[in-house]
Amino acid sequence: MKKSKESIFKNKLAWAVVAELLILLVAGILEPNFFHIEYNATTGMFYGSLIDIVNRSAEITIIAMGMTMVIALGGTDISVGALVAVAGAFALKLLRWDVTMYPTPGDYTVKPFILVILVPLLICTAMGLFNGVLIGKFKLQPIIATLILMVAGRGIAQIATNGKQFTTGYTPFRFIGQGSLFGLPFPIIVTIVVCASVMIFVRKTAFGTFVESVGVNPNASRVTGLKSDKIIMIVYTLTGFLSGIAGLIYSSRISSCDSNNAGVNYEMDAILAVVLGGTSMTGGKFSLTGTIIGSLIIRTITTLVYYFGITSESIMAFKAVIILIVIVIQSEPVGKWLATRQARRQKVGELRG
Amino acid sequence: MDKKKSSKLVNFVTNPKYLMVLATIGIFLVIYGAGILMYGDRGFSKLRTFMMLFVDNAYIGISAVGMTMVLITGGIDLSVAAVASLTGMFIAYGTTVLGLDPVLCMAFSILVGVLLGLGMGALVTYLKIPPFVATLTGMFLARGVCSLISRESISINNELIDKMAGWKMYFMKYSGGEWVKIKPVAYINLNVVIFIVMIIIGTIILQKTRFGRNVYAVGGNEQSARLMGLPVDKTKMMVYGFNGFCSALAGIAYALYVKSGWNLALQGGELDVISAAVIGGVLLSGGVGYMIGTFFGVLLKAVIPSLITFNGTLSSWWGKIITGALVLLFVALQQIVMHGKIFKKKSDPSHKKE
Amino acid sequence: MKGIEIQFPGVKALDGVDFSLRRGEVHALLGENGAGKSTLIKCLTGVNKMDAGKITLEGKEIRPTDPKNAMDLGISTVFQEINLCDNLSVAENIFIGRQPIRRGQIDWKEINRRSQELLERFKIHIDVTRPLSQYSTAIQQMVSIARAVDVDAKVLILDEPTSSLDNEEVKRLFDVMRDLKAQGMGIIFITHFLDQVFEMSDRLTVLRNGHLIGVYNANEITKLELVSSMIGKDLDEIFDLKRATQKPDAKMMLEADHIGVPGKVEDISFNQKQGELLGFAGLLGSGRTETAEMLFGVTKMQNGDLKVAGIPIKIGEPMDAINHKIAFCPEDRKRDGIIGDLTIRENIALALQARRGMMKPMSRKEQDELADKYIKMLSIATPDAEKKIKELSGGNQQKVILARWMATEPDLLILDEPTRCIDVGAKAEIHRLMLQMCEEGMSIIFISSELDEIIRCSNRIIVMRDGKKAGELSGENCTQADIMRIIAGEKDGETA
Repeated sequence: MKKSKESIFKNKLAWAVVAELLILLVAGILEPNFFHIEYNATTGMFYGSLIDIVNRSAEITIIAMGMTMVIALGGTDISVGALVAVAGAFALKLLRWDVTMYPTPGDYTVKPFILVILVPLLICTAMGLFNGVLIGKFKLQPIIATLILMVAGRGIAQIATNGKQFTTGYTPFRFIGQGSLFGLPFPIIVTIVVCASVMIFVRKTAFGTFVESVGVNPNASRVTGLKSDKIIMIVYTLTGFLSGIAGLIYSSRISSCDSNNAGVNYEMDAILAVVLGGTSMTGGKFSLTGTIIGSLIIRTITTLVYYFGITSESIMAFKAVIILIVIVIQSEPVGKWLATRQARRQKVGELRG
Repeated sequence: MDKKKSSKLVNFVTNPKYLMVLATIGIFLVIYGAGILMYGDRGFSKLRTFMMLFVDNAYIGISAVGMTMVLITGGIDLSVAAVASLTGMFIAYGTTVLGLDPVLCMAFSILVGVLLGLGMGALVTYLKIPPFVATLTGMFLARGVCSLISRESISINNELIDKMAGWKMYFMKYSGGEWVKIKPVAYINLNVVIFIVMIIIGTIILQKTRFGRNVYAVGGNEQSARLMGLPVDKTKMMVYGFNGFCSALAGIAYALYVKSGWNLALQGGELDVISAAVIGGVLLSGGVGYMIGTFFGVLLKAVIPSLITFNGTLSSWWGKIITGALVLLFVALQQIVMHGKIFKKKSDPSHKKE
Repeated sequence: MKGIEIQFPGVKALDGVDFSLRRGEVHALLGENGAGKSTLIKCLTGVNKMDAGKITLEGKEIRPTDPKNAMDLGISTVFQEINLCDNLSVAENIFIGRQPIRRGQIDWKEINRRSQELLERFKIHIDVTRPLSQYSTAIQQMVSIARAVDVDAKVLILDEPTSSLDNEEVKRLFDVMRDLKAQGMGIIFITHFLDQVFEMSDRLTVLRNGHLIGVYNANEITKLELVSSMIGKDLDEIFDLKRATQKPDAKMMLEADHIGVPGKVEDISFNQKQGELLGFAGLLGSGRTETAEMLFGVTKMQNGDLKVAGIPIKIGEPMDAINHKIAFCPEDRKRDGIIGDLTIRENIALALQARRGMMKPMSRKEQDELADKYIKMLSIATPDAEKKIKELSGGNQQKVILARWMATEPDLLILDEPTRCIDVGAKAEIHRLMLQMCEEGMSIIFISSELDEIIRCSNRIIVMRDGKKAGELSGENCTQADIMRIIAGEKDGETA
């Protein structure tokens, strides 16, 4: 009794894990090779569907780390997809600063290379801060505030590259998305580092508790001495920064920038990952581990659906059904209904006992 | 008498209810006027340019009619573009691949649109799911189903559709004893007619019916509306249903415009629709907005790319940035004008609503 | 209404209350916060469902399902908080939901004309086509009354209609009420202004803690008797409480010099020594809570000077107060106190953590120890510290909030109605704790509507009335009657 009550939240996480395992099981039955991981000695890399799933989920996982806290605050950030495009555009812009002088994709013109990484990240962080200021200081609704950059962001990305699609062959840059370290694709390493850092920052400082507190009851949090506007700004800024990282990985993966299609619907996927991971859309308690699993679930389904020969776009229909189930279960009236049913059952049990 | 009239005018202009709409119209006129001054010699001042704003954006406008209502209730609908795209696919697949009657296809699409709208409305109204999430689900569903039908763009090959798409009403002038088309040719097509009719219907619903006024009341203060005895739940359901209808209608208009159905059509179109409404002075937090504002919001949003085209040197992407800036401007304006007073009250610590 | 009973989780909000209203009568409904007035009204208007009892109107039993239904049945209500849509025009607010229709369209001209006429009755001359948000709270209040009056109702409920009106406006409202009364309408009038009660009402019903205390004819009861029946003695059991002893050499803790927030509380001056328990008495809306919120920076203090331990300080937001070792348990526990979805442990640690700052987190072990310590010390009834606070009973929630602030080891603790809506046992527990903390040198400001507990615990008592300090009494030898006299306004000044 005592145990079951305290672990309601952890149960949500458990559901996510069970769901992921079930999907993997189905995959394993349909495609026995699914779990096969192969080591290629010449490239020094591991190959296999599982590795691929983790690798391909990197961008969403990274963004969803920030999105988890945004949602825990009771907000949403719909500009992340646009920021992914912005990061890619500026990275490629710096790599191919003077296309006329260096016409082959193998060249790059901005030295040192670190700037190619730092500048896009800085721009995305600044954009995140812009969201944060509008929401934290000026008390705009999150959806309106982030709508502005969602619309303007892609425009900025296109302007940065003059509406052209640059490609690059520059190896250090391509390494971000295509390289490997310790036998694993580099995006996996980045994801691990990012997730670990965010988790340490959130759980080893009091930040996570503050976010949850503001998300549950902003009034009481203020009376308790928390500065909610600062907390809101930090969260949105962080989300901007993380979108920048995801943008670099994405553009490196395709060795080019594609301001039209980079990060399209990423905001939706990130939100979905968060919700699947057991964080409620109404704000409050959040689980970063849950979010990681949520992101993996999305990618696993995607991979699995490919096996059925279903096109990538139609995956959205499956996603819709999954979200529908999750949000209906999470919704307040259904929760109340379940609670009263449980209470009634307990009463009956007591009467009988 | 004259004095009374002028004071009435002052009253009208300073009434914050209308101020946002007037701002939209004002900014539109300024930008359009500037366009005429700068590119008048290249034909910007011609009637054709003006009419093309309508022809090229009618489908956005039709959807914005429904969106305006949803936004006034304080909700949002992200599924509009996906539902429109689904409609286009139904028509294209139905007529061209299955060889069905186009009227049947259109009726079916509208039915699906309304049902989807009602479904999302039910999620929002009865299950208290945030509109953002509920309609996001609807968007995923519509896009997914669309892709399940076909991944390829299907061009529509149907006599009736061709006829509908091809119908044009030219602007004529009387010269030399007979009516001739003015040059350069200016016309309106069926989409423009639908757009304008929908704006008129929307205005009548919002201003002249109890249902319409309930829409405003729900957006202004849902709790109060309930306590005043208004049918809040029914109102919200009907608004989402109506929006579903508008999305499907917009889909038909888009199908007539491009004469094809494509699963990826109108990607991000929901943002165009929402930003047109916001630029038109609709308050995203609900309770304020006019159809006529949305009408000018659509035009204002449309005139920017048109200007950029006439300029010829600017990247077309400035359009997005300017749209974003306009949204920011209008949101800021709303905070100042509409919230000036409300805000003071809310920051009043005895209310302590953050 | 007969034998109305309503049950909320944990607390019985109304217990077998009978209430009757005659035609052409103004019937005042009185009681302190949490007495059950609002709940009673909500039953009548169908916002809350009754667990037992029945409502009869003109001999017929009715069951209002929602406000709309109640309105159709003839019960029209002006709620305490203005329940209008301030984005709509004044006229529309009066007519929405029942707009006159002409030729299938809303007849705006008619709406505006009739609204104008209606408001003329209240001698309000405004442009009815402008949005409601442009007008003052007083006008908004009048508009909501106008709306309720215009409905062809048999029963009109006015819940604190005068709280934001000035004298002139109150007079106009009363004129209208007399008109309606003459027309045979029954009016339920809720207010905390006792003068108005006696001016307007024919009969009075007093509620306390969800119980019916009595029904009186207005001309047969004195103001003093009324106050005593409203506040009353609630604790039948006498607990062995000893007031904290005042050390003669105690240092000055707090000195407030003409502090105030215009429009809420003004000109409050008092001081408090270390280890002193200062009681704040007064009726609801008298400025007790507002003073507390001002001291803690929830409302920004605009006038006057404040000294803590002899040093002048400025308090702009709660964090400043916390840094000066002030703590505050707010009156509205649910809105300003508990963080519902967080655990008891997290709720207890939160204020201390906020003061330490984000980067110096408390270890899980430290939090556990803190939580365990206070759960034991305050005997919080919970299986463990990991339960969500919203799952606790009211009294235990209050103890957790108390623990949250005790953990910050404050010098000054402000308790706003800490014993409201909690059972007798927990109440005694909280009294004991307060006194114990005072003995240990903490200063406490104790706000309560129950005179009994204020008198038994406080060293000194400040009595508030209408946003001002109305008197100051020594706790040792003051009686309830002394305080009530000041509250009732029969005697002003210091009776130290």
